[in-house]
Amino acid sequence: MASLSLKHIEKIYPNGYHAVQDFNLEVEDKEFIIFVGPSGCGKSTTLRMIAGLEDISEGEFLIDGVKMNDVEPKDRDIAMVFQSYALYPHMTVRDNMGFALKLRNVPQKEIDEKVEEVAKILDLEKLLDRKPKALSGGQRQRVAMGRAIVRSPKVFLMDEPLSNLDAKLRVQMRTEISKLHDRLGTTIIYVTHDQTEAMTLGTRIVVMKDGIVQQINTPEHLYNKPCNLFVAGFIGSPQMNFMDAKVEVKGKDVKLHIGDNTLTLPADKAKVLIDGGYDGKTVVLGIRPEHFGDGRKADKENTIKAAIDVRELLGAEVFLYFDVDGKQCTARVNPDVDLAQGMEGTFSLDMDKIHLFDKETEKSLLYAE
Amino acid sequence: MTQNEKAAAAKKRKHAIMIVLLVVLFILFIAPFILVLINVFKDQADITANPLALVGEHGFTTKNFPEAMEKMDFFNVFKNSLLITTLATILTIIVSAMASFVIVRNGKWKACSILFALMIASMVIPFQVLMVPLVSVYGGVFGILNSRLTLILMHTGFSVSMATFMFHGAIHSNIPLELEEAALIDGCSRWQTFWKIVFPLLKPTVATVAIIDAMAFWNDYLLPSLVLTDKEIYTIPIATQAFYGTYSTDIGLVMAALLLAMLPILILYLFLQKYIVAGVTAGAVKG
Repeated sequence: MASLSLKHIEKIYPNGYHAVQDFNLEVEDKEFIIFVGPSGCGKSTTLRMIAGLEDISEGEFLIDGVKMNDVEPKDRDIAMVFQSYALYPHMTVRDNMGFALKLRNVPQKEIDEKVEEVAKILDLEKLLDRKPKALSGGQRQRVAMGRAIVRSPKVFLMDEPLSNLDAKLRVQMRTEISKLHDRLGTTIIYVTHDQTEAMTLGTRIVVMKDGIVQQINTPEHLYNKPCNLFVAGFIGSPQMNFMDAKVEVKGKDVKLHIGDNTLTLPADKAKVLIDGGYDGKTVVLGIRPEHFGDGRKADKENTIKAAIDVRELLGAEVFLYFDVDGKQCTARVNPDVDLAQGMEGTFSLDMDKIHLFDKETEKSLLYAE
Repeated sequence: MTQNEKAAAAKKRKHAIMIVLLVVLFILFIAPFILVLINVFKDQADITANPLALVGEHGFTTKNFPEAMEKMDFFNVFKNSLLITTLATILTIIVSAMASFVIVRNGKWKACSILFALMIASMVIPFQVLMVPLVSVYGGVFGILNSRLTLILMHTGFSVSMATFMFHGAIHSNIPLELEEAALIDGCSRWQTFWKIVFPLLKPTVATVAIIDAMAFWNDYLLPSLVLTDKEIYTIPIATQAFYGTYSTDIGLVMAALLLAMLPILILYLFLQKYIVAGVTAGAVKG
């Protein structure tokens, strides 16, 4: 197993496109790192640079302290699971899994033992003599994982390995991967655009946008303390609600005006706005859907009135969609909240859980990375 | 008659016309072969008397075969044809498969696209335009005519463009880049990636190129007749010259020679047929 170090990594294509900018990351042994971000954010490019499939334009990449920039993929001691699985169609499952060992001149007996052992872990024993075309999507995915595991590499790289599976199988495989990480205790770098995968699998998450790292931290930290609007909006489903709020400072009190609604900030958050000189300015207020409550029972302070546009019952919870000062908002409430479509609702806000962002820089005013 | 019945009748008529057309075409294609087959077992007099009769007046005979084989030095010319066809076909497949792999995977290199464009352009030049300069350069300047190796290289040179074009299409549409990347990570060098991963997946195209080129090399008369002058290194088509006299031609012997010449390539075709169909349709439907 291994530690990885990426220092000031840049990727600039010959046409001048800057795909990755100043990427810095220290990966410790046995970590499960997730690269997450929208399409074109540079997450796969970074993974491919780690694999050696793309050249690193600038910066240093080290595995266990050894510089790897110019080392061939085969000599980096890494294994990769591709989005399309990339199983060799002309080989059986057994040959696919043992291929890397065969290339390294491992004795056939040892290859067979290793393949059987991994096949047992992944429940592939009965499929060893089949060719990939005779396997289902989930089975192919497991073979791809098996091919990587058999090699016992220093680092596992996974490029959206679950994106070709149906929703049910994806959840099942997600759990399998998590168990596998615990069992093998390997360093894994996993690329996904699915924030649920990122939240459930990663020990740390790297959020990327337009080739730039936005924030690197644990899933809990990213969820509770996002450092900017992008991270706040990207992590969490349904996503965080954002509203423009005008700041009014009266002595030590700070009020936020959102349309006709007025909210009073708790002292610690008020101090940040006073110290930052935000009096009279507009900031972005962010609140997660679960931090809205049924305000009809609460006191009148820190509530927002809005007409319900849509009510979605998901069984254990209800999503209520409404409009606040021109911005679409979502509240996650208990099914026993009897607000229906077309009704006028009053929502209380958990003011300790709100987030505040600078409207221009989009940076969090409460949490810095 | 209802609308449905009318449509069914029209469909039936169309089907019948298709069948008739197919039968006519089949007869046209198969007739020469049948003629060879029925006349090869007759003597010269019977063939001249009635070439369409199944059995001649003098009865069934196999004497044409040993005589033809002896006259055309069959085992020697067969060996030459087999050697030239096999080596030229293998060489064409290896060179063009590797060339197309480099061209496809380095599509952004100007040199690759220019070379590929030149190869495609060379396919439209008729051989007859090149044959005189070819002979004068290789014979007059280099003096390397009358050699099996020269013929093998010439066959390869003339067929490599078409084969590269076919492999180019197969690699481009049927071999995902991720497979090669997976092989690189698994520990393959570029060379191993090609031979262990890419080439085995080109099997249908290899079969198609093999049969097309093997047939062309085996049956070719013009190029070998320009290159080979020594009887010892004649191929089968040139050796059949021996049966055409100035004043008379023994048709029975010609038929026997033709059948002997045809059989190996016919067997190869039947053996590779399923791959050829797969090669023609590969890439049409993404599976």
